[in-house]
Amino acid sequence: MSIILTDLTKRFGEHLVVNRVSLDVRDGELFVLLGGSGSGKSTILRMIAGLSTPDAGKIELNGRDVTYLPPQVRGTGFVFQNYSIFRHMTVLQNVEFGLRIRKVKTKERARRAEELLDLVGLGGLGARFASQLSGGQQQRVALARALAYQPAVLLLDEPFGALDVKIRSQLRASLKEIQRQLKVTTILVTHDQEEAFELADRIGVMDAGHLIEVGTSETLYHQPDSEFTATFIGGGNVLVGRREHETIRLGSTTLPLPRAGHLADDGAPVRVLFRPETTLLQAERFAPDAGLHVLGQGVVVERIFAGALQRIVLEVEGLRGVRAVSPRVSYGQKATRVEVIQTAQREPNASFAPGAKLWIGLRDFHVLAPSGLKVLLCASDDEGGRIAAEMGSRLAQATHGPATLLTVVSRPELVAPARTRLEAMRRDLMPRVANLELRVRVGTSATEILLEAQEGHYEVIALGQVPDRNGYRGLGSTARQVLEQAEIPVLLTRSPEGKFENILICTRGGEPGKTDVVFGGRVARRANAQATVLYVQTPQTTDDEQKRAARHLLQAEASLSQQGVQCKLKILDGSIVESILQQAKTDNSDLIIIGAQAPRGRPRLRWQNLANQILGSTDCPVLVVPMNE
Amino acid sequence: MIATPKRSRIPRGLFPVGILLAVMLPLLLMPLAAIFVFAARSGLPGFVAALSSPDAQFALRFSLLIAFLTAFINGILGTYTAYVLSKYRFPGRDALNVVVNLPVAIPTVVVGTSLLLLWGPIGILGQFLVPLGVSPMFMPAGVLLAHLFVTFPYMLGSVKPVLDELEVTYEEAAYTIGANQLQAFRFVVLPALRGGLFSGALLTFAHSLGEFGATVLVSGNLSFRTQTAPLYIFAQFEAGNIEAANAVAAVLAMLSFVLFFALMQFNKSSARA
Repeated sequence: MSIILTDLTKRFGEHLVVNRVSLDVRDGELFVLLGGSGSGKSTILRMIAGLSTPDAGKIELNGRDVTYLPPQVRGTGFVFQNYSIFRHMTVLQNVEFGLRIRKVKTKERARRAEELLDLVGLGGLGARFASQLSGGQQQRVALARALAYQPAVLLLDEPFGALDVKIRSQLRASLKEIQRQLKVTTILVTHDQEEAFELADRIGVMDAGHLIEVGTSETLYHQPDSEFTATFIGGGNVLVGRREHETIRLGSTTLPLPRAGHLADDGAPVRVLFRPETTLLQAERFAPDAGLHVLGQGVVVERIFAGALQRIVLEVEGLRGVRAVSPRVSYGQKATRVEVIQTAQREPNASFAPGAKLWIGLRDFHVLAPSGLKVLLCASDDEGGRIAAEMGSRLAQATHGPATLLTVVSRPELVAPARTRLEAMRRDLMPRVANLELRVRVGTSATEILLEAQEGHYEVIALGQVPDRNGYRGLGSTARQVLEQAEIPVLLTRSPEGKFENILICTRGGEPGKTDVVFGGRVARRANAQATVLYVQTPQTTDDEQKRAARHLLQAEASLSQQGVQCKLKILDGSIVESILQQAKTDNSDLIIIGAQAPRGRPRLRWQNLANQILGSTDCPVLVVPMNE
Repeated sequence: MIATPKRSRIPRGLFPVGILLAVMLPLLLMPLAAIFVFAARSGLPGFVAALSSPDAQFALRFSLLIAFLTAFINGILGTYTAYVLSKYRFPGRDALNVVVNLPVAIPTVVVGTSLLLLWGPIGILGQFLVPLGVSPMFMPAGVLLAHLFVTFPYMLGSVKPVLDELEVTYEEAAYTIGANQLQAFRFVVLPALRGGLFSGALLTFAHSLGEFGATVLVSGNLSFRTQTAPLYIFAQFEAGNIEAANAVAAVLAMLSFVLFFALMQFNKSSARA
C-alpha cells in the first residue's frame, strides 16, 4: 500500500472538515476523491502533502508514518488548480527546481528536465516563461515539475478545474497515459464525475467530511451502498420500500428481494435504486416472460430532448405513499415520480408525449445497504433533553444510524438561541454520531415532535425523563402525548449512561407481539446485543393463550436467530410489572422493550401505565413499540 | 429621417489650463526654477567652489551614506515585516499593521523629540545608557535611527501588496518540491518581490535624502559630524551664505529628479510586463 490514511480528522474552528477518514491506496493506483465543494477532499490531499496538519489520525506513505513530518521530506508531488508555475523562472528552470534543491548536477538535471518536458508534450518550450504559455501548457509544466524528483506519490488538486472543456479532455488523456507509464501512485481530487469515471482506477466519494464509499466506477454506479453515492453519481431513482419476508413492497407493487448483498431486516425500510437508462416504457403490458420487474403504470408528465437521449418523467399512481429519495419531490406533487431515459428517435415518438399512460419495467434494480436506526433526539432545554440526547445518540451509535437533535420552542425569536444550544450539543455528541443533524421547530412540544417524526421518516423517538419537583417518577405530559400517538417506537430514558448489550423483549402472545420482537431484533442485531424474550403469565391467562404464547416464543426465537441475534426464552408467572422488573434485574438488562397496542378503544393506556410503572421503578431505559392489530 | 448623433466636441480648454498654469507657476514651478537660477547667477566657478568646500562635501557624502544605509536596513526590516504581516495570523496583527504605518502620519519634529526623550541624556533609556557610554543622540547613529523611523512605512508599503497578492500555493509548491522555508523565500518569494523591493528602496532613499525635521533635533546639527545636506543648507542660509546653501540645494534637487524619473520609468516598465 502506498498511501494509508487512518482515522484522519481535521477541524477548522468549530467545523469538522474531515471526519475520521480511513483509506488505503494501492501501489501505482490512480485514486480519485470525488465530492462537492466543501466536502473535505482537498483538505485530505493537503494533509497528505504536509501542507496542513491533521488534528487526529495517521498518514503513512510507503510504510513510513509521515503524519507530523514537514512537506519537504514526504516526497510528494503536488499539482495545484492554479498551476503555481514560478513566474520568474523559465519552464526548464521550473521543472529542474526540485533537482536543483536536491543538488543534482547541472547536466544531469537539464537532461532529466528535457525528458520530462517531452513526456508531458512540451518538448522545445523549455526556454519560455509562464506568461508565454496557455493554461493547459502551464498545467503540463506543473505536472512535469511535480514528477521531476520522482515523488513517491502524486497529488493533484482539481488540476483541470480552471481549464476549458476541450483542453481538459486532452489533459486527462495525457495524465492517464503518463500515470500508467510511470506507475506512480496518484490521488486526484475533483468534483467532476465524468473526470472521475474516465481517470480513476477507484473512486472515493466524499460528503461533508466523510469518506462515504470507495469502489470502482462501475460498482459505484451500478451497486452503490449508500444513498448519497446513488444520488450523487449519475441520475437515479431511489425509492424507499419495506421488506416483507422475501419481497420488497413498494406501494402496490412488489420486487423480489435479491439474495446477494446486504439484507435488510424483515419489516425494515429498503432503498431501491434503478437507473433511468435501465428502465423500459411501453404502452402495452409487458409479457410475463420479458424478464422485467414491472413497477406499474405511469403517466408522462414531462419529456426533455437532450441530443442522443430523451428524459421522460412519469408519475406512478401505484406508488402513492412510497417515499422517494430521488428524483427530489417537488412542492405539491401527489404521486411518486420516476425518471426514465430513452434513446431519442428521429420522429418525435408520440407515445412518450405528456399525458401518455405507459407501463414501466425495470431491467435491473439494486438494493442499497440498510442504514442504521434513524433516531430523533428530543433535546429540550432541560435535564430531560440532555438525557435524551445522550442516550438516544448512544442508541444511534450502537445501531450505526443517523440522528437528529430536535428542540421545540414556543416563539420564532427563540429559534436562533435554541440552534446555538443544539450546535454546542452536537459538538459534544459528534464523536459518537457522525451523521447528526439539527432541527428547531416552533409550536407545542408533543405535536411538533410527532410531526417531525412523521415528516423525517424517523424510526425511533428518544425522550428523556426526570422526576418532577415532588419526586414523582412517572411520565411527563409530553411523553404521554407522544406515546399515545406515535406510530414509531419511543425510547424513554432516565439515565444518560448506558450500553446495549443485554436487551429484554417483553412480548404478548400472538400476531401483535411480533412487532416488538422484530424491532427488538433489529436493535439487537445492529448493536450486537444478546436478547431475552419474556412472556408473563397472569392468573387470568387462558390455556389457549398459553399455547399461542408458546408457539409465538418459538417463532420469536427462530426469527431472531434468522437475524443473527443470540436469544433465550423466558416465561414467568405473576404480575406483569414485577416479573419484567425481576427479569431485567437478573439479566442485568440495558434496555427493556415493550409493545403498545393501537389506540382503538384506548387499551393502549394500559401499556402506557405499564411503561409508567416500569420507568417509575427502574433506571433502565424502556423502548415502547406501537403494535398494529 | 434619422438624426445623426452630434459628435461631442472636445472642449478647447484654454481657459481652465490657463488657470491651472497661473496657480502652478508660483506654487510649484517657479520655486524649483529659483534654485537653478540662483545657482547659475554666480556662474559655474562659483557653483563648483561652493560645492567643493569641505563642509559641503561632508554634508553631501554623509547624506548619501545615511540614505544608502537607511534604504538597505529598512529594505530588510520592511520586507521581513511585510512577510510576517501578510503570511501569519496572530492576535494583535491588525494593531501592528497600523503601528508600522504610523510614521507617515507623525510630524517628523515629533519623531525627533521622541527619539531624544528615549535616547537622550535624560531619556527613558538614555539615563541608564548614556553613563555607560552608549549615546546615539548627536551622533551619526542617531541620525540613522531617525531616518529608519521616518522612512519605515515606504518599504513596507511597496512590498506588502505584492506579498498579499502572491498566492500561498507558490510557496507550498516549493515546499512539496523539497525546498525549506529559506529556500522557498530565496527562490520563489524574493524574485516575485523584486519590483516592490526596488521601488521601495528608491522611495526610502529619496525620503532619507531630504529628511529634515527629525534630523535637526537628533543630530544637534554638528558640521563634520552629523550635518546632513538639508541641515547644511539650513545652516548656511541662517548664516547668510546664500550661495553655499543654494549650490547644495541644487544638487539635492537634481538627485531627487533623477530618483523620481528612475522610479517612474521602472513602474512603467513593470506595468507593461
